[in-house]
Amino acid sequence: MGINSLSFKNLRRRKLRSILTMLGVVIGVTALVVLVGLTTGMTNYMKESTTNMMGDVMIMNSTGGGTIMTQSGSSFLSPEAVDEIKNMPQLYNIKQEVQFLTEFNGTSIYVIGTSDWSQVDINGSTGVVVSTTLADMGYNIGNKITIEGQEFTVTGTFSEGAMGVVVLDSDKALPMNDNKSTSLTANTRGDPEVIKDEVENTVEGITVSTKSDMSKQIDDMMSGLTLFIGGIASIALLVGVISIINIMLVNVTERTREIGVLKAIGFTSREVLGSILLEAALIGFIGGLIGLIVAAILLQLAIMIFSSQIGDIQLAQMLPVWLIAGVLGGATGLSVLAGLYPAWRASRLNVVEALRNE
Amino acid sequence: MNDQNNNVLEFKDVWKIYQMGDEKINALAGVNLNIRDGSFTSIMGPSGSGKSTLLHVGGILDMPTRGNLLLNGKDTSTLSGKEQATFRRNEIGFVFQRFNLMPQLSALENVLLPMIKPDLEKAKELLDKMGLEGKHNKRPSQLSGGEQQRVSIARALINNPSLILADEPTGELDTKNAEVIMGILQDLNKKEGVTIIIVTHNPLAAEFTDEIIEMRDGNII
Ligand SMILES: Nc1ncnc2c1ncn2[C@@H]1O[C@H](COP(=O)(O)OP(=O)(O)OP(=O)(O)O)[C@@H](O)[C@H]1O
Ligand SMILES: [Mg+2]
Repeated sequence: MGINSLSFKNLRRRKLRSILTMLGVVIGVTALVVLVGLTTGMTNYMKESTTNMMGDVMIMNSTGGGTIMTQSGSSFLSPEAVDEIKNMPQLYNIKQEVQFLTEFNGTSIYVIGTSDWSQVDINGSTGVVVSTTLADMGYNIGNKITIEGQEFTVTGTFSEGAMGVVVLDSDKALPMNDNKSTSLTANTRGDPEVIKDEVENTVEGITVSTKSDMSKQIDDMMSGLTLFIGGIASIALLVGVISIINIMLVNVTERTREIGVLKAIGFTSREVLGSILLEAALIGFIGGLIGLIVAAILLQLAIMIFSSQIGDIQLAQMLPVWLIAGVLGGATGLSVLAGLYPAWRASRLNVVEALRNE
Repeated sequence: MNDQNNNVLEFKDVWKIYQMGDEKINALAGVNLNIRDGSFTSIMGPSGSGKSTLLHVGGILDMPTRGNLLLNGKDTSTLSGKEQATFRRNEIGFVFQRFNLMPQLSALENVLLPMIKPDLEKAKELLDKMGLEGKHNKRPSQLSGGEQQRVSIARALINNPSLILADEPTGELDTKNAEVIMGILQDLNKKEGVTIIIVTHNPLAAEFTDEIIEMRDGNII
């Protein structure tokens, strides 16, 4: 019968009080994990979908900003560069992608030329696919649409924000952009990292990104967001933890006499301190665990509800081990910190005065 | 030398002075007292005469303002906090007027609490000896006052202390239960040679002891 099992029993004494204190931690942890989990899931999803799409390497104009997020109509690969690249024996399965803005009925729309239709979630069939904004404007499946003077019959639609977008086969879209590509994707014969250097040294004015470059770019881009969202959600956790200080002070005051007895029967001040800290740690740990479970359920629900929009994403991508360990460790650690002052007060209690306490 | 070895507790000119604003209260005013090994002593005296303070200092729950306290011949004034705790755990068993059991623990768990290496058999044996067969798993709130006090005596005895200190152990009990408790303490003293000091207002309880010490104004008369 150590003093530590007393900490467990103390939690059960004032059940409602313990539960309410834990609730603060649970809410904080749930908010933190759901928000960070969503951004982490998004990051992983983006990584997977870009790296799935791109083959082994992606080649862009080096003045185009060079990240997948900034690829826009501003900078294109010249047809000469594309020819040079196509002639390199190290590369095969080369696909040209193009994206440019064009005038359409007085507004601007995006034209995307793709050779990989699997990236578009189509309602209908491939060929000439328009965003729902355009479909609503009367360019639905079967209707004619004229882009850059060429007439097409719409074969499918897909949902995509408010922007007007038309997706065509690369070989139809490229001529409209003077045969200039936005990017090329290719597979490599050999180590992509080595071939990346070879291609960059052979062809001027281009940047080659490998899958790991892409993941890193996405990580860099998302880590700031994750940190920001994590910071905001941490405030919720902090509020929960601060209430532990309050409750533990009440507990310690209420148990003044018992603490006196503990010391009278031979427990040291340090042991008393430890038992209060353990109690605080338990609140944090159990609260953290419950929060994690609730968050996992909410994230799973989100996955089920939004699966049509975001595609195939797994709970494990939103709840990486570092997040679980960090949140549990953080909730427990912060709770121990919150318990420090009440525990110190308890350990400093004068035994005789504590025993006289009614 | 021999004399010293026989004393479990020695008060040597012990003072305990409380400062209350400008006023000084001598809770203990130069107490000299020897408690022999195997003795059974009661301390009596009016309220505020310093009985509890004497017991607290004797059990190193409290340090004297002046003077020395020897426990088993060892001066306690130089003990560290940890050493004091070890002394209290191993050498002293406290019994309180209000029992002071942990409400969240069963009788058995309360008895085991002071043990570093829990000895379940010993705790059960002690509880049975206190006449608490079948009540090992009851919470203090499920026990009568007399039963609670017997649990607290078992708790005080669990580490085989050289000294039992009891502050008004019968103060909350009716006459019948008071006699049971005093009978148990007397048995412990006579049959097992446990040294016991009790503080009491109750002359009936004091009658069970071998020696009665009267206190007044912080000293023994
Ligand atoms: N913390 C304290 N601060 C100031 N005075 C104190 C303190 N503790 C005890 N005293 C005083 O010391 C004196 C002795 O107190 P003590 O508790 O030892 O008396 P007692 O003989 O046990 O009395 P009772 O029979 O009422 O329990 C009393 O005058 C009390 O008011
Ligand atoms: Mg008293």
